[in-house]
Amino acid sequence: MKAKKSILDENLSRNDPRIKQILAKLKKESYRPDALIEILHTAQNSFGYLPMNVLAFITKELKVPPSRVYSTVTFYHFFSLKSKGEHTCLVCTGTACYVKGAEHILNEIEREFQLKPGQVSADNKLGLSTARCIGACGLAPAMVVDDEVHAKTKPEDVKNMILSKIGARV
Amino acid sequence: MAKIPVTIDDKPLEVETGRTILEACKENGIEILTMCHLEGIGDVGACRLCLVEIEGINKLLPACTTKVAANQVIKTKTERLKKYQRITTELFFAERNHICAVCVADGNCELQDLGYKVGMDHVRFPYLFPQANVDTSHPMYVMDHNRCIMCTRCVRVCSEVEGAHNWGIKNRGIEVRVISDFDTPWGDSTTCTSCSKCVNVCPTGALWPKTVVQGQLVKQPKMVSELVAKRKMNL
Repeated sequence: MKAKKSILDENLSRNDPRIKQILAKLKKESYRPDALIEILHTAQNSFGYLPMNVLAFITKELKVPPSRVYSTVTFYHFFSLKSKGEHTCLVCTGTACYVKGAEHILNEIEREFQLKPGQVSADNKLGLSTARCIGACGLAPAMVVDDEVHAKTKPEDVKNMILSKIGARV
Repeated sequence: MAKIPVTIDDKPLEVETGRTILEACKENGIEILTMCHLEGIGDVGACRLCLVEIEGINKLLPACTTKVAANQVIKTKTERLKKYQRITTELFFAERNHICAVCVADGNCELQDLGYKVGMDHVRFPYLFPQANVDTSHPMYVMDHNRCIMCTRCVRVCSEVEGAHNWGIKNRGIEVRVISDFDTPWGDSTTCTSCSKCVNVCPTGALWPKTVVQGQLVKQPKMVSELVAKRKMNL
């Protein structure tokens, strides 16, 4: 029988719904060490990023070396060790979107929210990123706010679109 | 074991199947430059020094990870290969902050020896001078990232021979670094057994014991090769 693990790392509780999601995934994958990437995917989806204590938790549960977990996380660009912000704004800068003025959208966001691509606002409310192409060239210029795709975005609408999502002025 | 005919450097040879080109060359006294290869640990083809030309294949293939096939015509000492070997060596130097004169491994360094072997008189590429740290947190050893060439011998020996899995690699491309555990100080490692295998197999002055001073470092990479061979004997 497995020893009862009651004390986890700080700020982590087994009753945390996000930890519960990871535990469910671990069970589904039968705690196989080679399911590391799938587990990390689940963890990133539930936390929004991969905090160090969550990595330590996964390391312990899966019984894989810490260095392997860290190597995997830093190798794939999908995984992030830093918070991407509570709300995310993704501006497509693919060819079609670029021609249709993605740069004006980025400039508008920088002016209104003082954010450059890859940055997160000081209060962690909004994170801005860019994508090479989101495969929606017919909707150019496209922007994704919290998984919601906005087609034919006009720079003047960007501010209200984001504010309505994050609820308050950043 | 079945033997297959191959030609290496115009010499017709009989080689056992399943051997790598590097093993075949070693058995027949043909020298091939290597850096990441070490007897006893798995090959990854990281350093690109052992590249060879094979007739009928356009790209150069690493001898350490390519298996010999029947009737292959392999060349190991062409002008093209020599040119690339020198470029590769120069890039090792340019990529980190290698300065032999102040290095603990001066005179006992595989990278330095390689420089002499390929006839490197200077580095034709500008040094990148990346910001690299020196980790002195371990009570006995030092990890100096300035002198690391990312051969990953330490990573492989730690996981394959010692089984401790202390070392890993973080990031990609020019940002790669050897890490201990969660990129935490080596001294805080929960996995390191202080066995010194990584220190002994490191080809440069990146890993060294605190007891030596400049130019005094002597390493025993063969220690690991012998250990692995002895383990096999007991089986």
